[in-house]
Amino acid sequence: MYGFENITANNGWAMAFVGATIVFLGLVVLSFVIAQIHKILNLWDKKDDWAARRKGAQPDPKAQPHAGPVYRERRLPNVDELVIIYRPLIERLTQPFELVQLYELSNQMELPHPNLSINRLREANILLAQGDGKFTWNR
Amino acid sequence: MLDLLYQFLSNTGYFLADYRHVIMLIVGCVFLYLGTAKKFEPLLLVPIGFGILVGNIPFFKGFGLGIYEPNSVLHYLYFGVTTGVYPSIVFLGLGAMTDFSSLLAQPKLMLLGAAAQMGIYFTLLGALFMGFLPKEAAAIAIIGGADGPTSIFLTAKLAPHLIGPIAIAAYSYMALIPVIQPPIMKLLTTKQERLIRMPEPREVSRKEKIIFPIAGVLLCCFLAPTALPLLGMLFLGNFLKECGVVDRLAKTAQSAIIDTATIFLGFTVGCSTQADVFLTPKSLGIFFLGSIAFSIATGSGVIFAKIMNLFLKKKMNPLLGAAGVSAVPGSAREVHLMGLKEDPNNFLLMHGMACNSSGVIGSAICAGILWSFFI
Repeated sequence: MYGFENITANNGWAMAFVGATIVFLGLVVLSFVIAQIHKILNLWDKKDDWAARRKGAQPDPKAQPHAGPVYRERRLPNVDELVIIYRPLIERLTQPFELVQLYELSNQMELPHPNLSINRLREANILLAQGDGKFTWNR
Repeated sequence: MLDLLYQFLSNTGYFLADYRHVIMLIVGCVFLYLGTAKKFEPLLLVPIGFGILVGNIPFFKGFGLGIYEPNSVLHYLYFGVTTGVYPSIVFLGLGAMTDFSSLLAQPKLMLLGAAAQMGIYFTLLGALFMGFLPKEAAAIAIIGGADGPTSIFLTAKLAPHLIGPIAIAAYSYMALIPVIQPPIMKLLTTKQERLIRMPEPREVSRKEKIIFPIAGVLLCCFLAPTALPLLGMLFLGNFLKECGVVDRLAKTAQSAIIDTATIFLGFTVGCSTQADVFLTPKSLGIFFLGSIAFSIATGSGVIFAKIMNLFLKKKMNPLLGAAGVSAVPGSAREVHLMGLKEDPNNFLLMHGMACNSSGVIGSAICAGILWSFFI
């Protein structure tokens, strides 16, 4: 048998169409998948950053009770401003207190320059040393 | 004494030879000439050409000498062809030698590899039209993939009696890429299209290269499990290369193993072209269909690239479509050379290799699909 008759008799048209479609779709899927590989790998590499950022964005439950004045300015305030800022923190401490406690509290409140600020308050005799490593608030 | 001398002379090849042997010996010499003097695919044409010479030395049948005689040495060597062992081993080495970076960087070029497979299906219709049986037609059609090992593999499974002519046709056309492809590429593209420059491919990470063979083997072999012997080995070879922990195995696969398989494959395929088996009208038909298949594959790749350009913001060079056939790296080299002819600073080799490697995958899938139609 020859010609179109032979093609039709042996299902040639269907074989050619189905075969061409399958190979085309197969390679389209493969190309789509390999196009995604580097994107998935990028996401995978960034997953630790995301987890850290997400963890950092959640409010710390311990910090909730210490709601108070928080300032974002990078300059060191003067003594009067520091008194206003640190008074709410002192009120949360039992006097006399250790400077470490005040330092931790100011860190929780994300106050900038806590060392410099506490040092300035000490120099201005706002924070008075009791001689046993503890301090009292002099205002 | 004269009787003894006459008996000896009557057993010599000179006495037994006829015009068919002479023709095939000339063909063998042409292959050797093309391989050595013209350097057309010498790794293939030299063992095949020499095999044609060896296979066409006339001898007395029944002494266990010929490749088609059971228990002959050549028959045992030929076992690797008829069972599809050599093509699988060649694919292992091919995978270990192939860098899929350019394909991973530009996955859309894989579509050109798919488009170039259309030659296979047009040839399937053509072979049926000419009166070949369905299994024979499928085996002939795979020549359009321009992949020697894949052609041999599928023919061994579907039409083992045609291995000789199909293998010779496939390898001949692969070797004749510099002659066949450039006119088709030139005919189907304009100068402006040939001048299109491709963007620099992005850098591909090692992780991507490691994941690709795993994703590839899973996707392709789930789709066409019959392509497992080829694609499984191809992706295994590539994984050996990319994983970086079995360098010894990768180096052996890309040198000693593939070289050994290529020698035996080429030589035994050459030997299988025994004149009495090879020189038939069917072989002529196969050669004719092979040239059609190869031309259509080249043309359909180029035309599909032009169709893609209708939808792409950043146009691609349609010459790359011609590299969608799986003749690695011959067709990519031709595309590159044609690009350079138009613009000495237009380097298309890496992009061509991307299409080429997708063509290898595509033709192996096609072989699997065609085989599965007859299971």
